[in-house]
Amino acid sequence: MLKIENLKAFYDSIPALKGVSIEVPQGKVVSIIGANGAGKSTLLKSISGLMKSKEGGILYKDQDISALPANKIVSLGISQVPEGRQIFGHLSVQDNINLGAYLYFKRRNRSEIEKRTERVYRLFPILKKRTKQVAGTLSGGEQQMLAIARALMGRPELILLDEPSMGLAPLIVREIFSVINQLNQTGTTILLVEQNAKAALNVAHHAFVLETGEIVLEGLAGELLDNPKVKEAYLGG
Amino acid sequence: MEEFSFANQLFQYLITGLTVGSVYAMVAIGFNIIYNVTEIINLAQGEFVMLGGLIMVFLHAVAGLPLILAFPITVILVTLVGMLLDRLAIRPIRQPSVLTLIIATIAASIIIKGTAMFIWGKDPFDLPAFSGRTPINFLGAVIQPQYFWVIGFLIVTVILLTLFFEKTIIGKAMSACADNPDAASLMGINVKWMILLSFSLSAAIGAVAGITVTPISLMEYDRGAMLAIKGFGAVVLGGLGSFPGAILGGLILGTIESFGAGLISSGYKDAFALIVLLAVLFFRPSGLLGSVEISKIKRF
Repeated sequence: MLKIENLKAFYDSIPALKGVSIEVPQGKVVSIIGANGAGKSTLLKSISGLMKSKEGGILYKDQDISALPANKIVSLGISQVPEGRQIFGHLSVQDNINLGAYLYFKRRNRSEIEKRTERVYRLFPILKKRTKQVAGTLSGGEQQMLAIARALMGRPELILLDEPSMGLAPLIVREIFSVINQLNQTGTTILLVEQNAKAALNVAHHAFVLETGEIVLEGLAGELLDNPKVKEAYLGG
Repeated sequence: MEEFSFANQLFQYLITGLTVGSVYAMVAIGFNIIYNVTEIINLAQGEFVMLGGLIMVFLHAVAGLPLILAFPITVILVTLVGMLLDRLAIRPIRQPSVLTLIIATIAASIIIKGTAMFIWGKDPFDLPAFSGRTPINFLGAVIQPQYFWVIGFLIVTVILLTLFFEKTIIGKAMSACADNPDAASLMGINVKWMILLSFSLSAAIGAVAGITVTPISLMEYDRGAMLAIKGFGAVVLGGLGSFPGAILGGLILGTIESFGAGLISSGYKDAFALIVLLAVLFFRPSGLLGSVEISKIKRF
């Protein structure tokens, strides 16, 4: 579904990605694990179009999207849940969710929007109690749920998740990963970037290890869980 | 002969102040729309008001178009100037910092002012009042009918803008750009288009202010800068980015100016606005209705 070939990305002239090639097959969960500064977020931003100084091919359903701006890429069915949630803090929860459907927010799509809204509220019932609340006043976990909910409103076929576990309590992390699992079972393809390697490998089919802008290891998620190098570096021995 | 008591006189100052304040409020709203989407303080905001007044004079008083036609055409023309400002002065700047963009708006305001002087000369122009100049006596104050037009247009502008920002998805998308432009583009929002829209809206509101105030105070090519300063004073007084704050700030500033001019000296009229501006910056930089928390994370 998504194929990245020899992707390089730069901050000014400093390379953040040094030729990364990965593939995300339709219907799967693919995880990318790596430490801080390995280039994980840069990789997701390059796919979603936020990162502009890059070279190499990004093929989505055989179409090269590497030159498209972010707002066009969403319309193709790729939604990113950015690192640090990045919800619209001054707007209400409902406004955040409505903006997720911005591209097709028209009267004739009303029933579809209502159906999708219902669905995200079923995934995250806590948000339904907070519809009128200003999003910036939500707790960290609720903000992460809102960020995922907002991305789901955009009719995504592929979701890019950037560190959904960051700064959250273990219980909330478990809840969020169970939602990721549910989403995948209903047919959404997921590319997940995580420092929490254990959670990321447990939910994934396939995984890559990214170190200083290069893929150093790849394989089935189950195999990587047992890989001694991965164990030592990312799973705490 | 009617007797004017001191109370009547104060009431007169109040009405005049509210009218002038309405114009400041409209300039302030224009500042806030652009600020809220881009964090830019558009210092060419006053030029939109000046252009509104002078283009209206040309279309209505010189070319003889009826009011009902000249009004919308003027608003459209000034809106186009606002769009050009974005396309020619703001968007082409590569790797912009907010400060660079603010400086670009100063340059644009000088160019607009110069062009206006070239076209209209340095003389002030008058515009016939919308519904005559027979003053109305009300509670002992003498009120020009045009005052009601100015205040009325402020009210209409505020209602329409509130509906736009609260009820439409485009209005929400504009607020989203202000909040987080990267996240907004991840929703499929075209941020550049929203910036263009913010400049258009501000220009249109500036034009309305200029058109309605010209019959009262005349209009000449270099009025923009002072209007921008007063409008900015209103913005700071009310709290940067807050629409209710802009209205409150504008009305308070106009009233202070009017009372100051009437009771102390009209020579210091412009100084009062600046004194208020400085006082607010000293004592309450977040403004009357601005949030202290938000003002801490603002870059300006």
